[in-house]
Amino acid sequence: MQEKVEKFIVPIGPQHPALKEPGHFEFSVDGEEVTGATIRLGFVHRGIEKMTESRTWIQNLYMLERVCGICSHVHGIAYTLGVEKLAGVTVPPRAQAIRTIVLELERIQSHMLWLGVAAHEGGFDTLFMYSWRDRETVMDLFELISGNRVQHSVNLVGGVKYDITAEQKQKILDGVSYLEGRLQYYEKIITTDDTFLGRTRNVGKMTKEEATLLGAVGPTARASGVERDVRVESPYASYPDHPVNIVLDEGGDLTSRFIVRIRELFESIRVIREILTNLPESELTVRVPRRIPAGEVISRVEAPRGELFYYIKSAGGENPYRIKIRTPSLCNWGTVSSVAIGHKLADMPMLLVGIDPCFSCNDRLVTVRQETGSQTMYWEDLRKYGVEYYQ
Amino acid sequence: METEKLFTIAEALLKPWAKEYKRPDENRLDVYLVREDLLEAVEGLAQARWGYLSAISGVDLVPPAQDGTGENQEGRLEVLYHFCNSAAVLSLRIEIPYSDAHVPSVCGIIPSATIYERELMELFGITVVDTPVPDHLVLPDDWPDGVFPLRKSFTGFDSPQAQES
Repeated sequence: MQEKVEKFIVPIGPQHPALKEPGHFEFSVDGEEVTGATIRLGFVHRGIEKMTESRTWIQNLYMLERVCGICSHVHGIAYTLGVEKLAGVTVPPRAQAIRTIVLELERIQSHMLWLGVAAHEGGFDTLFMYSWRDRETVMDLFELISGNRVQHSVNLVGGVKYDITAEQKQKILDGVSYLEGRLQYYEKIITTDDTFLGRTRNVGKMTKEEATLLGAVGPTARASGVERDVRVESPYASYPDHPVNIVLDEGGDLTSRFIVRIRELFESIRVIREILTNLPESELTVRVPRRIPAGEVISRVEAPRGELFYYIKSAGGENPYRIKIRTPSLCNWGTVSSVAIGHKLADMPMLLVGIDPCFSCNDRLVTVRQETGSQTMYWEDLRKYGVEYYQ
Repeated sequence: METEKLFTIAEALLKPWAKEYKRPDENRLDVYLVREDLLEAVEGLAQARWGYLSAISGVDLVPPAQDGTGENQEGRLEVLYHFCNSAAVLSLRIEIPYSDAHVPSVCGIIPSATIYERELMELFGITVVDTPVPDHLVLPDDWPDGVFPLRKSFTGFDSPQAQES
């Protein structure tokens, strides 16, 4: 007699108990063991790519910086580098240096945020609180430079808005020195704490071949020994003058992903120091025409989560013809659904945070649910609503 | 130079299928193909392990304004498969007409392409033949059929495209 095998599916989300952003996962399980995984995204889809087509080149910068709250600067960089190339202008060296400093500060901020969330998923809330407390150091530095903590909005098409004064420079150097000490301590914890290693060692193991085949990017790929880092492969901004050393680990498991992210930050701190001590003197901006010549450009940069890819097409008008954004989280999802198989259900939260997923990045209309039914709000309505709300 | 060497290899690999090569930029090589040759070309790149599929971009090429004859030209869609290898970016470009908007799935060769193909299907209305999961990826489940937000004809739910469906 043939026994009928039924699949038991555990749905998780969209309101996820662990991650603070919405995503829906369906894990088919056999007892405790995961046998399959599917992912449904789009809960925070905002249609940003479409919106770019009806806004000017300048307006788009402000919108694209809001694709993601954690890595807002890097989206601005990918966009401005592309547009500047189309316009045929070169940004002054000091502006490039300031952009790069903020890029690396952002990487520190992002990885420390991730370390906290990952520690929390692993049940290690002390580490979560430590790393988030220390992360405030970087947030204060952002406030010092731009007046903003999250949306620093440092970029302009053709340069940067803020200069770094001698006094600010010293504060940044002091800040990163403090963080360096703290990061050494975190590195010790993640490599020696038995309880933590119990949750990470040999969990979510991905070989170099798998990582390459699945198209992993960023620290997720580098933790499997894949040499992929746009800063090294195709340097932009100040990276040609201040090269970064690629940080690799061969382990391929969660422990390796922790190690790579922490060690990368020592490299970020080194680069920040190097640029700050050699800060070139120049203007901060260059004039960029309002209409961008027709053409297309591909702009790749290394976001904290991996390669960020922009395809920008101009038809010669005041608005872009098409902007395609491919964020690193999108590449790394593929690795989760295949690595999950064979693991215990309890390991899933750790595996998910292991790639440092960013949902806002993936999902880019707003439907407001009301008692009388749902109502679709467009940009104009939302703006009106916002203005009236704050009056 | 490393990038030049990579492009020489890519050009040799793609020779049987390439209709035209263009170098828009020192780091870029655009190879124009016809749809029927896409899979073989991708297979060729994958077997030689030339880079990785970084993204698939769709572009809606609206027809130029009516020409002198007063005839309406049909719009076309362009699909770009971007492969990255170190600093080199290779784009395989295929153009397809609105009335025959389908491309073959490359998931058989590159499994991670599924997410990009789903995006292409729901946002541009390009049918990806034999793609493993044809469900919605980013649009809501109750999104009306036949409305493709990234087509230029879509300008909101009062647009003619949305009204028709």
